[in-house]
Amino acid sequence: MNPDVANAIPKLVESGILPPENAPLLLRVARRELVSVHWELRMLLYAGVLLLTGGVGVLVAENLDRIGPVAIAAGIGLAAAAALLWVWRISPPFSWREVKSPNLAFDYMLLLGVLLAAADLAYVEVQFTALGAHWTWHLLIVAVLTALAAFRFDSRVVFSLALTTFAAWRGVSVAWFGPGLLWDRAESAVRWSSIACGVLFVVLGFLLKRMDRKAHFEPLATHLGWLLIFGGLASGLGEAGFWLFYALGLLLGGAALAAGAYRFRRFPLFAFGVVAGYVALTRLVLELGELAQIFGCFWFFGSAILLLFGLIVAQRRMREPL
Amino acid sequence: MRADAALADRNASVRAAARSWQKAEAIDEPTLKAIEAAVPDDRHRVGPVFRVLLFLFSVLAISGGFGFVLLLVLEPLKDEGWGFAVMAILTGIALTVLTELQIGRLKRSQGGTEAATSFAALGFLMGGVAWFVFDPLDLPDDRAIPALLLLAAVLLAAAAWRWGYPLYAGLAAASLLAALTYVPGGRLLWIVLALLAAPFLMRRSDSERLPPALRHCFTAVLIVALIGLYLAVHLGSFDLGAIELVRRSFRDLGPASKIGTLRWLSIAATALVPVVYLAIGIRTRRYPFLIVGLGTAIASLFTLRIYVHLAPLWVVLTLSGAALIAVVFALRRYLDSGPAKERGGFTAEPLFEDLARQRLLEVGVAVASFSPDARTVRDEPKFAGGGGEFGGGGSSSEF
Repeated sequence: MNPDVANAIPKLVESGILPPENAPLLLRVARRELVSVHWELRMLLYAGVLLLTGGVGVLVAENLDRIGPVAIAAGIGLAAAAALLWVWRISPPFSWREVKSPNLAFDYMLLLGVLLAAADLAYVEVQFTALGAHWTWHLLIVAVLTALAAFRFDSRVVFSLALTTFAAWRGVSVAWFGPGLLWDRAESAVRWSSIACGVLFVVLGFLLKRMDRKAHFEPLATHLGWLLIFGGLASGLGEAGFWLFYALGLLLGGAALAAGAYRFRRFPLFAFGVVAGYVALTRLVLELGELAQIFGCFWFFGSAILLLFGLIVAQRRMREPL
Repeated sequence: MRADAALADRNASVRAAARSWQKAEAIDEPTLKAIEAAVPDDRHRVGPVFRVLLFLFSVLAISGGFGFVLLLVLEPLKDEGWGFAVMAILTGIALTVLTELQIGRLKRSQGGTEAATSFAALGFLMGGVAWFVFDPLDLPDDRAIPALLLLAAVLLAAAAWRWGYPLYAGLAAASLLAALTYVPGGRLLWIVLALLAAPFLMRRSDSERLPPALRHCFTAVLIVALIGLYLAVHLGSFDLGAIELVRRSFRDLGPASKIGTLRWLSIAATALVPVVYLAIGIRTRRYPFLIVGLGTAIASLFTLRIYVHLAPLWVVLTLSGAALIAVVFALRRYLDSGPAKERGGFTAEPLFEDLARQRLLEVGVAVASFSPDARTVRDEPKFAGGGGEFGGGGSSSEF
């Protein structure tokens, strides 16, 4: 209930600002005579999907011997097919533009189908070792299939799942098979894999927007991409010998992103850039001089004050909506 | 709250509602502009991303500044704590004044920096007092901790009342409940206090005399009280003696009370409290009761699973997931089949409601899944409410 809004509506109608025909419904909502449970139902659906897929996971882990691998694989496959068939039947035709969801459950049933299919694929791979030594490739297959489903059914939820599965494929591949020719340690290999994956996502986001093909997926790819890039670079700040290289990379990357985001009014990206740049600069300043504790405190005080002034000026120019 | 801040808060609430109407296409852009002109906002506000950045860097600047002065002034004196405590309290007072200045003369609201100074002020005041309580006074833990918790409750409540932060109000209530665990019969006090306070809190959270921020503060306290009540009557908490454990005394209530009736009452309450919450939520259409009712219902079902082995875990998870999905489908169908797609004042259609609440739910879902929220449903804003049609000012008549 919002008494202030309920009181304001008649006054706005009286003064001719609010069309009178709009007032009854607005008043009912403000007086809590009509309440929407739309978002609560979405939350419950999502919880239902998570519980169901969690149950399937436990089933696979606990009942392998009793039920048998073929029965489990077939059962999960059938469940996934049923969910995806339902989605297919009611889905609107494909379009490169944003397509409105046909109903509240659509995205969540699609997610359920995709998660079950992925679990089934993983199970089949573990049981029957179809890919042999290249078992990590099943993650790539899942990522590609998930991405196809995301594009076909225009689901940002499933697209983000595709991106994270792809990143997981790179991470698992590198961590499992160890360093390659370029890196002497698995840690470096994972780091560079994360950075490369991030760059790939940023480029993908750029292309999606540039070519106007599912352009509304672009923020997902770009945000995740920059997070991977900065995460990879930041993990190198503790590297003896090479930290300076990573710190400079993080500083330049952060500054460039903040500048670009400032220009194009991309608020979350601006925040990523500012934080990344600040972390890198702090590492550089505190390390280079091996300065006393007192200077460290002064640095945090002085630099944060300067940054606050900069942020206040920037927010006035960028005008982020409330 | 200051009178000018309260008025600005009321205006901001109307402006936020108007923005959500416009987002749902209930009104057009010129109408929104006209409403914004009619309820002017004299506060300096910033968007959510900048608010977070300004908050974080303000806290960093305050902490760095405090550390710098501390090292500069006190290290040469080989201070053993007195200086730190006095300086912390003085800094807390200075930051309180700074917060007042920002909210008052500088007219800042939702700006990040005033929230940071208020947050740091409370932290420094508590830190300084804690040193006195533990070091020179050398109070035993069972007296020092409840005293500090009570002080935290008072400070947080005062900050919430003066500056209108619901988080502080909720924390104040939680601190008070935590302090009561040190009192004999703490569990009973949790129950009695929540039962006595709930009607009052419900009235205040709707009170026309209070600005929205303070109404939200009372709602936050109500939520904490409802959760506290559930925890106090919960079977697991009773069996573990979770509340009594704090003061290492099981004599009054809890498992060592050896009173079988109490355990049966706890079993009944664990099952019934969520039902009562949901019933009140449905009857009064209050979100706090609906949300807490839903959360406690899940907790009670989980408790049932722990105490009674109904079926293997995978069966319970799969069936409950499938049941939940089925319930949502049935509920949606039931609500949609009502006149104007509503029943008993509820609708499954999205309405132009509190955007903050919507964002909170979106973030919750996104964080839980590391994924974005699902897209909007086809024709989402086109809700045909029973109370009338929209069509003025160029907006769609189908709304």
